Amino acid sequence: MTPCFLKIPDGLKRYPLVGIVCWLAALVGAHAAQDVRLRVWSHQGQEAENHAVREIAEAFNAAHRDRGWTVELSFFPDFQYTEKLAVAAAARDLPDVFDLDGPLVARFADVGLLKPLDEFLSDAERADFLPTILAQGTVDGRLYALGSFDSALVLYYDRELLARAGVTPPVEGQGWSWDEFVKACEKLKTAGIEPVALHMNESADEWFTYAFSPVVWSAGGRLIAQDIARVRGELTSEAAVRGVRAWQELFARGFAATDPVEPDPFGQGRVAMDWSGHWMARGHLATKGDRLGVMPLPSLGTPAAACGSWCWAISAETKQQEAAVAWLRWVTEAETGVVPLVRANGAVPARRAAFAHFPEYEQMPYALFRAQLETSARPRPRTPFYAMLTHRFAAALRDISRGADVESRLRKAEEAVQRVIDRKRPTKTAEASRP
Amino acid sequence: MTAWEKQASRRAIWFLLPALGMLAVFVAWPLIRAAWWSVTDADLLATDDAHWIGAENYSDLLRDPRFRHAFLNTALFAILIVPLQTLLAMVLALWVNRPEPAWRWLRTVFFLPVVVSLPVLAVVWTLLYQPEQAGETGLINRLTSVFGFADRAWLRDPSLALPALAAMSIWQGVGLQMMVFLAGLQGVSREQLEAAQLDGASAWQRLVHVVIPSLRNTIVFVVTVTTILAFRLFVQPYLMTRGGPDDRTLSLVQYMYETTFLNLELGRTCAAALLFLTWVGFLTWLQRTLFNEEKS
Repeated sequence: MTPCFLKIPDGLKRYPLVGIVCWLAALVGAHAAQDVRLRVWSHQGQEAENHAVREIAEAFNAAHRDRGWTVELSFFPDFQYTEKLAVAAAARDLPDVFDLDGPLVARFADVGLLKPLDEFLSDAERADFLPTILAQGTVDGRLYALGSFDSALVLYYDRELLARAGVTPPVEGQGWSWDEFVKACEKLKTAGIEPVALHMNESADEWFTYAFSPVVWSAGGRLIAQDIARVRGELTSEAAVRGVRAWQELFARGFAATDPVEPDPFGQGRVAMDWSGHWMARGHLATKGDRLGVMPLPSLGTPAAACGSWCWAISAETKQQEAAVAWLRWVTEAETGVVPLVRANGAVPARRAAFAHFPEYEQMPYALFRAQLETSARPRPRTPFYAMLTHRFAAALRDISRGADVESRLRKAEEAVQRVIDRKRPTKTAEASRP
Repeated sequence: MTAWEKQASRRAIWFLLPALGMLAVFVAWPLIRAAWWSVTDADLLATDDAHWIGAENYSDLLRDPRFRHAFLNTALFAILIVPLQTLLAMVLALWVNRPEPAWRWLRTVFFLPVVVSLPVLAVVWTLLYQPEQAGETGLINRLTSVFGFADRAWLRDPSLALPALAAMSIWQGVGLQMMVFLAGLQGVSREQLEAAQLDGASAWQRLVHVVIPSLRNTIVFVVTVTTILAFRLFVQPYLMTRGGPDDRTLSLVQYMYETTFLNLELGRTCAAALLFLTWVGFLTWLQRTLFNEEKS
């Protein structure tokens, strides 16, 4: 017996040509209804996050079937995603919409690869985004990228381990001054407890710039004079050197490991404090429960926090502008994009409207994540030279943690970066060095 | 040339065409493009906007302390590796060159690291080199401490990092050269060896006067290939030291990677790559000439 779906209707048996013509017509018709295929690229994150992006795309396609818009998603492993984008740009084969890491926006915008987004965003919409998200996507006063979520960097601590060493944590929401932090480390070390985990085994350069730029900022320094692209004299400014010296002391005095092996010694209960991000919050809450405390990073003067994450941008050459803008809106809209993504990856929602869906933001540690992003967080430098800057800065920090001389090592780093800048921007730098 | 030969050579062109076509598309054309870009200020993100800048990329590279540094590091790496790896490969090959099946097993063991993915080995060796941290010590430091040596931070000590990478690379790569030597050893004439033995030559004399001269071509091949591979050093420092400490393990290929994907300076990268190609070509030519001269 033939299964019914293989049975050909009698009419078609008699007139096969009619059948083929009908079938072709149906195909063409279907094609006409879906004539806009939007190419969207995304880095491959954790599986849950990829799954969420796929579902968001399906929902988008379902909602825009009448317009005939279909998002075609491609994922690429995140350790080579940036290279993939660069090669695609070289081949003039960038997709209509893609996500990229926040600090790279400036480089892509600099060569005109991104479409400015200002005109597509109402004031009300703009006001609903966290200020850090807008700052991260803004280069030379124009908005080029928008994220669905942001990140936060804090100092977690174990109340019981601090109490055992006789250390009193600061009041909720407040951070320590650097001196208080160092004193706490001393007490912990005397009590035989390893004071703080700084995750120096992170293989990515970005951890170092992300996690330790706040030390330089809080001391009053900066990594680059962004507007004139000058690094020389910035990394070795008095403030920056003071910050990095203070940071180096943590290793020199044995408060933090220079070459840790374990990824999470704090969660294992071996270390009292954890200099880490929002991504550890779920895990730490699960293992520590009420013992978990959280505070802003210790400050050398002005409190400074880190922020920044992946964000979406539209290719300047897209021929599907309307659909591209619709997708970008969809994926950064609280209900349709932000909530499902944040549920999946545990990051901080980029939209104020989305926080209502996450009651945990009423409490610590989540409340601190949001508070920092609303007040003290700064994006990493938005300069076309960021990739080299972060690479050299991270290499310098690695060497400095292991005892290299702070000032001469930072000078070497800034010289290497400045040489690249001078090569590419002889005019701008020459103007800037004029008195 | 007879008519038949003429016809045959005309036909040969058709058989050569596919191969020539592939060479043209995948070797010649990229080389021409690279040569063109190397005299422009091409940016990887905006290749259409490239301007002719003459030999500036080349002169700037030769003046760049970081490029020179990368070159010296890589050259030092090659100097460490080429003689040691060649010698070790030959010794291993002589050792395991026996017909009994037990030796086949040993050959497999020596060859194994060649087959395993290099990034995996890089992670394993990073752990092996680990100095004491929170009560855990890498195997190598534990071994050296048995002989009374102090704990060393192999990969972050500026004077030890490159030798440490070289040791790991020799261990990883020596199996391949051993196999080449083994193949070469099969070509050593049994009659000559027996004749030498009958004449009363000792094992050492047989090695020096019979085996090594017969291996001459193999040695030339191994030295050349090892040199080229040594100059292509990238994965080990990129994963194990990130070019540090203090740029002591920055290699030429890593420099080119940085120039391409961090600075996105396509023109400069092409210039560096062509300099690199010229240098490796020169070395290969030099080695072949030196060895051939000895022959005459």
